[in-house]
Amino acid sequence: MSTSTLLILFGSESGNSEDLASIAEKQAKSLGLSPSVKGMEEMEIGDLDGAQNVLIFCSTWGEGEMPDNAVDLWEAANGDSPPSLSGCNFAVCALGDTSYEFFCQSGKDWDGWFEKQGATRLLDRVDCDVEYDDPAAEFTTNALTLIASARAGTGGEALSSAETSVESDESSEETGSEEAQDETASGDLEGLISSGDRSLVILFGSQSGNSEELAAKISKDAKSYGLVGEVHDMDGFDFNSLSGKKRVMVLCSTWGEGEMPDNAEDMWQFAISDSASRLEGTHFAICALGDTSYEFFCQSGKDWDARFEGLGATRIIDRLDCDVDYDAPAAAWSLEALPALAAVDSTGQFHEEMVDSIKMYVSGSLAGAEGDDGFSLPEIRSEPVQVGVTVFRYDPETSSTGTDTWICSLPGHMSVLEVLRTLKSSQDGSLTFRDGSADDSNTAISVNGRLILPGLSRIDSVAPMREGAISLRIEPLPGFEVIRDLAIDPWPLERKREFSNPWMVAATREGAHTPQGTMGIMDPAIAARIHSMRDFGSQNILHSSSDAVPHANGYLGPAVIASSWSRRNDPRTSPSKGEEIDSLLSSPNGIKAETDLAPIKRQSSVPSAVSEALLEAKNSVLTGDGFNGKHGKHVWWYTWTVKSSGMVNDTVIYRQALGPFALLGNLFSGVTARMVLGFTRTGGNVFNGMLGMVAPPAGIGKMPKQFNSSVDNHHEVVAIFNEMDGRF
Amino acid sequence: MAMKYAYHPGNIAHSSATEVSQTMEPTARSLGIELLPMNGATSCGAGIIRQANDLLQVTLNARNFAIAESMGMDIITPCAATAGNLNEDLARLNGDPLLLAKTNEVLQRTSGLTMSGKLSIHHLLHVIVDEIGLDKVSEKVRNPIDFPIAGFYGPNMQQEGACGEDDVFDPQYLELLIKALGGEPVMWESRTQSVGVPGLFSEEATVLRQIASTINDAKSEGAAMIVSACTLSHTALDIYQGKASRATGLLTNIPVIHLTEMLAFAFGHYNNRLAQLRTRIAVIGD
Repeated sequence: MSTSTLLILFGSESGNSEDLASIAEKQAKSLGLSPSVKGMEEMEIGDLDGAQNVLIFCSTWGEGEMPDNAVDLWEAANGDSPPSLSGCNFAVCALGDTSYEFFCQSGKDWDGWFEKQGATRLLDRVDCDVEYDDPAAEFTTNALTLIASARAGTGGEALSSAETSVESDESSEETGSEEAQDETASGDLEGLISSGDRSLVILFGSQSGNSEELAAKISKDAKSYGLVGEVHDMDGFDFNSLSGKKRVMVLCSTWGEGEMPDNAEDMWQFAISDSASRLEGTHFAICALGDTSYEFFCQSGKDWDARFEGLGATRIIDRLDCDVDYDAPAAAWSLEALPALAAVDSTGQFHEEMVDSIKMYVSGSLAGAEGDDGFSLPEIRSEPVQVGVTVFRYDPETSSTGTDTWICSLPGHMSVLEVLRTLKSSQDGSLTFRDGSADDSNTAISVNGRLILPGLSRIDSVAPMREGAISLRIEPLPGFEVIRDLAIDPWPLERKREFSNPWMVAATREGAHTPQGTMGIMDPAIAARIHSMRDFGSQNILHSSSDAVPHANGYLGPAVIASSWSRRNDPRTSPSKGEEIDSLLSSPNGIKAETDLAPIKRQSSVPSAVSEALLEAKNSVLTGDGFNGKHGKHVWWYTWTVKSSGMVNDTVIYRQALGPFALLGNLFSGVTARMVLGFTRTGGNVFNGMLGMVAPPAGIGKMPKQFNSSVDNHHEVVAIFNEMDGRF
Repeated sequence: MAMKYAYHPGNIAHSSATEVSQTMEPTARSLGIELLPMNGATSCGAGIIRQANDLLQVTLNARNFAIAESMGMDIITPCAATAGNLNEDLARLNGDPLLLAKTNEVLQRTSGLTMSGKLSIHHLLHVIVDEIGLDKVSEKVRNPIDFPIAGFYGPNMQQEGACGEDDVFDPQYLELLIKALGGEPVMWESRTQSVGVPGLFSEEATVLRQIASTINDAKSEGAAMIVSACTLSHTALDIYQGKASRATGLLTNIPVIHLTEMLAFAFGHYNNRLAQLRTRIAVIGD
C-alpha cells in the first residue's frame, strides 16, 4: 500500500465527537496522512464503498439512540443494500455516560455493523465515559499510528493481507497485528518492547494500602520491561475503558467474609453487570492478597479472575494467592507476570516465544535494582525551572563568612546534591560540602531551614515555586561547628554520644528454645516500638532539628536523647544500666535542656515516633522527679492552674516555678520593670481593674492578675482532670 | 456578610498580653469577622500540659473542639502556639479513630459533649490571606505601617497542615500582609525559629540566648520593629529583651508588637497607640 485514505466520521449531538474528529484530523496530518473529516449527516452509505481506513467517533443520545446527525446514515446502513467493506480497516471510539443504561450504545452499534460488513477492526472499540479526553486521545494515537505505519510500509503487508483474508477469526487476529509483525519480525526484541502502545493498566483494590503499595512497586518495575505502568485506584475507574487495553494487572485484597475492599466494590458491581464491555484482546494477570486464617481466602482476587475470563480476556499467568506475608511471593510472581505481559504487542497478540528473551534482556538491566525489596525506584522527570541558589560560605583561613548566589536553569527533578556538584564542577571548585551516596547521613544540610539529605531531595520539592522561580538558601546544619562552607564538624556530637555510654549492658534473662538453639526473644510490638524510636536516619539532622541545641552548650541533643530513651525501653537492658540512663536523661544536659519540642516535630526528616519518644522521655523524667525543680514545677503549676480555673495563671507560675530569688533577679534585670511599665509600650491601661490598686504590682501594666475567674462550666474541666490524671 | 468564627483568644490574652484581646476585637470588626466567644473553653495546654500528661491535653482540647462544633463554627485564634497545639491535637484525634472514640467517652461522661472532628482551626493570619484576601485588607488601611518590619511566625504554627497554603519553612503570608499594610517586610532567617517559651522558667539561660539571637537577627537585617503572630513569643520577646541583651551582649532593643496590634493601628483604631509606637521606633528604640 503506497497511499492511505483515511475517513474520519463523527456522529455528534453536543459537539464532543466533532471536536475529537478535528483533533484526529490534525494528528493524522502530522503523521503524513490525508484525512477527510465528515459529519455523518454529510455521508451517503454508499460513500463508504472503497474506503480503506475509517475512524468513527460517535456519541450516544437518550436511551441508546444515535445522535441526530447520525440517524439517517444509520437507517441507510441497515437498509436493503449495505455495502461490502472487506478490505476496509476501521476503529470506533464511542462516547457515552455510564449513568445511562445503554452506555455507548451507538458506538457499539457502529462497531458491530462495520464488522458485519466484513471490515477489519484495527483496534478494539474504546467506550468513553464523560471524562473522555484521555481514553479518546489514546485511542486516536494508537489508531493513527497503526494506519501511518502501514502507509510507511512497515506494516503494509499486514494491512494488505487484512484486505484479502479476513474470513477466519484466526486470520483476523493476525491481520490486526501489523505492528506485531513489525515488532517481532526476526525476533526483534527491542522493537517489541519499545514501540507502539506499551501501557500496562495496574488496578488496585485495597483496604489497608498493601495492594496500593504493591501496585506502585510493580509499576516502577514495569519500566524495565518496556511497559508504561498506569496505576489506577479501582474507586472511580471506568471499567469499560479496559476494552481497548492490551495488558491489565489486578492487585486486590479481600475483606471481611470474602468481600471486595471498599474502593473496589463499585467497580465490581459494574463489572458483573450487563453494561460491562467484553474484553477480548485483553491479557490479564491477577495477584490476590488475603489471609489463610479466613474462610474465604483471596476470594476477591478469585472473583476478578473468573470475571475477566468470563468477559473474554486472556489469562497470561496463573493467579497468585498471597497470604499475609505477601512481599516475597508477590515479587517472585511479578518477575513472571511482567515479562509475559511485556510479550503482548500493541495489537494484543501474545508472543510466548519472546518471554524468555525478555527475561534475559531485563535481567541485565535489573542487576543493580535498588531498594531492599528488589524493586527499582522511579525517576519522575520535570522541566527546567529557574533556580536561585544562595550558598553559605565560610573561609577558615580568613574567618570570613558570606553567601554566594547563582541564578540558573535546572531540571526540577535534579537533586540538591547534584546542584552542589554542578556548581562545584562548573562554577567554583572551592565550594566545600560533604559528598556521598544519596542516603549518606553525613551529607545533611539545611535548605531554607528544612533539614534534608540533599541526594534524596529534588529541588522542586524542597522549596515552593514563587513567581516562576525556586529560591534555595543552602546552609550547613545548625548546631554544629562549620569547618568550611557547608561542611560541619560532627565530632562534638560523636563525643556526646560517647559520653552517653550508648552500648548495651544486657540483663540476664530467660531464653527460649528454638531450632537454632536457646536464645532470647522479644515481643514483636516492643521490638518495633524500640526500633521506631531510633529510626531517625541521620543523627546529625535530628541533632540539628532542635532550636535549643545552638544555644545550650552542654545539651546532649535530641539524637542522643532518643537513642538513650530507646535503650531505656529495651527490655534486654539491665536494671543498673536503666538507672544510669535515667540519670543521664534527667541530668541538666538531658531532656530538660530542650526548651521546645515543636521545632523537632515539624522537620519532615524526623519521624513522628522519634518526636513522640522525646516527649515520653520528658514526661518520664518530670514524673520521676515528682515534678520538683523548675522544670517540674513549671509543668505542674501550669497544669494545676488550668484545672483550677480553666485558664493559665501566670502569677502562680512565676511565683511557684521561679521562686523568690529568681523573682528578685527579675526585679533587678529589668523584666519586672518591663512588665509593670508595659502600658507605656502597649498604650494600654495602667491598672487592669481594681486588683492593680488593691494588690500591686499584679494588675499593673502587663503584670498578670493574681486570680482568674473560672471558665463557664468549670466543673467539666475538673471532671476531665479527675478522670484523666488524679495527680492534679 | 460577616464571617463567623468561634474565638479562642489564646493562653495569655487575659493576663500578660491584654493588648492582644483589646486589639483583636476592633481588627475583626474591620475585617468583617464576627468573633463568637467559646464559653467555657480552656487553655490549649501550650504543649506544656502535654509534658505532664499527653492525653490530658488532648482531652481538654477535644472539649474545646466540641464547644466550637456545638456552635457550628471553625475556631479562630490570634496565637500561633494555640493554633499549632489545637491543630496538632485535632489531627491526632482525626487520625486515630480509637483515640477519638475513647476521648468522646470521657467527654460524654464528664461534660455531656462529644466531638466529630469536622472543624478547622485557623490562625487570624491564615484567615486574612486565604479567606479575606490581601487586596481587601489593603483597601481598609487608614494608617500605613510604613516601617521596615520583621514578621515572626515561631515554630508552632509552621507545621505541615497547620499553616494554610504557606510553606512551613519559608513562609510569606506575614510578609505579604506587612506589604499590604504599607510596610516594608524584612526577610530574616529566624522568623520561624523557637524562642524557647516552654522553657522560659526552667532553662532561662538558653532561652535568653534564643531570644537575643532572634531579635539580633531581625535588627541585623534592618528591622525597626518585630511583629509576632504568636502571643507567647511576642510577650517573651518584649519583656525579656533587656535581660537577654545583658546575658548575651547582643543588641536587642526593638519594639515588639503583636499582629493584631499592627492590624488595628493600620485600620485606624487606637491612633494614640500608633503615635506612641512611632515615637518608640524613632526616639526610644524599644
